Amino acid sequence: MLPRGSISAVHVWKRFHADRRRKLLRDQVQHLSAARLRGGGGRGWRWALRDVDLLAGPGESVGLIGANGSGKSTLLKILTRVMYPHTGKVQVVGRVGALIEVRAGIHPDLTGRENIQLYGTLLGLDRRRIRERFDEIVAFAELDDAIDRQLKFYSSGMQMRLGFAVAAFLEPDILLVDEVLAVGDASFQQRCLERMRAVLNQGTTLVFVSHDLAAVEATCSRGVWLQQGVVQSEGPVRDVVNAYRQSIEAAAESTTEVTGELRLIKAEVSGPGRSTPRTQEALDVQLVVESPAVRSGRLYIGVSEGPATPIFVLRRDLQLGVGETKAHCSIRSLPLPRGRFYLWVGIFEGGKRDPLPWHPARRFEVAGPGLDAAPRGIVRLAPVHVDAAWEVER
Amino acid sequence: MSAGADVPVIPPPEWRFRRRFHPAALFRELWEARALVWTLAEREIRIRYKQAILGFAWAVVTPLVLMVAFSLFRKAAKIDTGPVPYPLFTFIALIPWTFFSTSVAQGGISLINNVPLLNKVYCPREVFPTASVVVAGIDSLISTSVLGLLFLRYGFMPKPTTIWVPAILPIQIAFTLGVTLVVSAVMVYLRDLRHALPLILQMGLFLTPVAFPLDVVPWQFRHLYVALNPLAAVIDGYRRTVLYGRPPSLSLLTIAAVSSLVALAGGYAAFKRLETGIADVA
Repeated sequence: MLPRGSISAVHVWKRFHADRRRKLLRDQVQHLSAARLRGGGGRGWRWALRDVDLLAGPGESVGLIGANGSGKSTLLKILTRVMYPHTGKVQVVGRVGALIEVRAGIHPDLTGRENIQLYGTLLGLDRRRIRERFDEIVAFAELDDAIDRQLKFYSSGMQMRLGFAVAAFLEPDILLVDEVLAVGDASFQQRCLERMRAVLNQGTTLVFVSHDLAAVEATCSRGVWLQQGVVQSEGPVRDVVNAYRQSIEAAAESTTEVTGELRLIKAEVSGPGRSTPRTQEALDVQLVVESPAVRSGRLYIGVSEGPATPIFVLRRDLQLGVGETKAHCSIRSLPLPRGRFYLWVGIFEGGKRDPLPWHPARRFEVAGPGLDAAPRGIVRLAPVHVDAAWEVER
Repeated sequence: MSAGADVPVIPPPEWRFRRRFHPAALFRELWEARALVWTLAEREIRIRYKQAILGFAWAVVTPLVLMVAFSLFRKAAKIDTGPVPYPLFTFIALIPWTFFSTSVAQGGISLINNVPLLNKVYCPREVFPTASVVVAGIDSLISTSVLGLLFLRYGFMPKPTTIWVPAILPIQIAFTLGVTLVVSAVMVYLRDLRHALPLILQMGLFLTPVAFPLDVVPWQFRHLYVALNPLAAVIDGYRRTVLYGRPPSLSLLTIAAVSSLVALAGGYAAFKRLETGIADVA
């Protein structure tokens, strides 16, 4: 027998009907007669999970990452015993608090108070213990007087806060959290992550599903990356998250299609003397744009770490002649730490179609020092290297 | 860090997941879930109370209306109830019948109605139909107090043989629970049942001796009839003991008890089997 708070799922397979038929008699009859014609069998199944292993000891925190539809939520549902696997062995020892979908275990016609009661009972707590935690839950969810209102009159943020607070405060041995932080505002997200860490410190086992890679990295010690129902990679969270990030970037790079009037012929990034760019040294960006006509526009360049938000952008108004136009931008001191970055380029002029849409034009590596580690609890660490000197007197 | 590369196309059959049921473990789980059954029952009552103006009165309206309807119809049917006033004769049967039909109707849709919950939280699923049976039981208690008022109204006293009632009641509950469990689980897979169920229950009302005495059924078929419909023996038992002051027919009650236990055990087993796939189709 495993100790309380352990999760052991081995060789888990799960399949669904490829076409989720409506369960009406009409359909069943049709299906039966069709099956008889075909001589039985021949049902379409789609594997949602294929040979997935997930092991976690008491107090461990595992982050589940992967694209939409990769099977993360299905795996969580199997761990909560809401669903049963097709194949494999699943052991989850202890009381499970799960927050799957935003309004976990919550009934719209009941008040917040009654919902806390109901969910606590579903978790297997007796009423006295629910009452003991009641005030904490209400305070954490910032509901105050709304607690005696019916849930259907709550905002989605309030419902989510209540759901999280109930799951996180009713002392589960295992907490399963599925992409809930997306709804809350920034300050609540931060408090949720703090609460998850507090719960972890009390020895609760955590399985955390999120697309917010920074949050996963900050909260979990181990990572599991699922891709199309298969464990793609598994290990220390940093390694897994990085591997996943790189695969997203590679996919984004290969699929970005640039359609505009202008063409970017060349985009080059280099350090001094065509060397590798280095932290806090000069960086040269060379661009060559081809235009079929004389025109003006605004040239933007930006640098990002992943495929999305730029760390900084630079702008310059530009006159383009017929044929090639060269632009050269020199950054005197590059504020980036060691890592892999993307150069984004776009030319805009305020018309209906952008002459050159915003797109990642080039990937480049930066050599130099890494970032100082952030204290535990800070989720988003911007990849900016600041040239600083310390002096400590005593 | 390990990479999961070579995964077979289909899983080896020997890894197939099987749920194992240990009766002791199941019973313990159910016992631990009793607070949950109460909470769910309380919730159902609260919701009903909040949404309906008449609230609890609905528990009594159905049997009362049926009683009046049967009393009007009875003039044509010439049913002989001896010294017992006909409204009492039929109302005492309407209580177990309403308990059964409400349980099956409400419990039948309890899993469907709680799909959002079923998809998120684990609990032994039988608590949902069971809670509906509990709610129907509370309705029955209310109806029973109305029966008391009817006794006063007709100046009729329950006979001392009423002490048999606690022996008959478990048969009624076991049969109702068994049927409710099956119906609720099957309903998830076969949604049409939702529309068919009221009709089936309606027919059940006329196939059960509610408006008429059990004597209507020829005695050579009576044992078979009771085996198929244990409620008939239950109702007959209540009438004999409470209204007529006679002991119940032990042979009929024994058959009904066996049949109810079979319904309960079979219903529970079927429920547990069907339960495994509920989250997949719901």
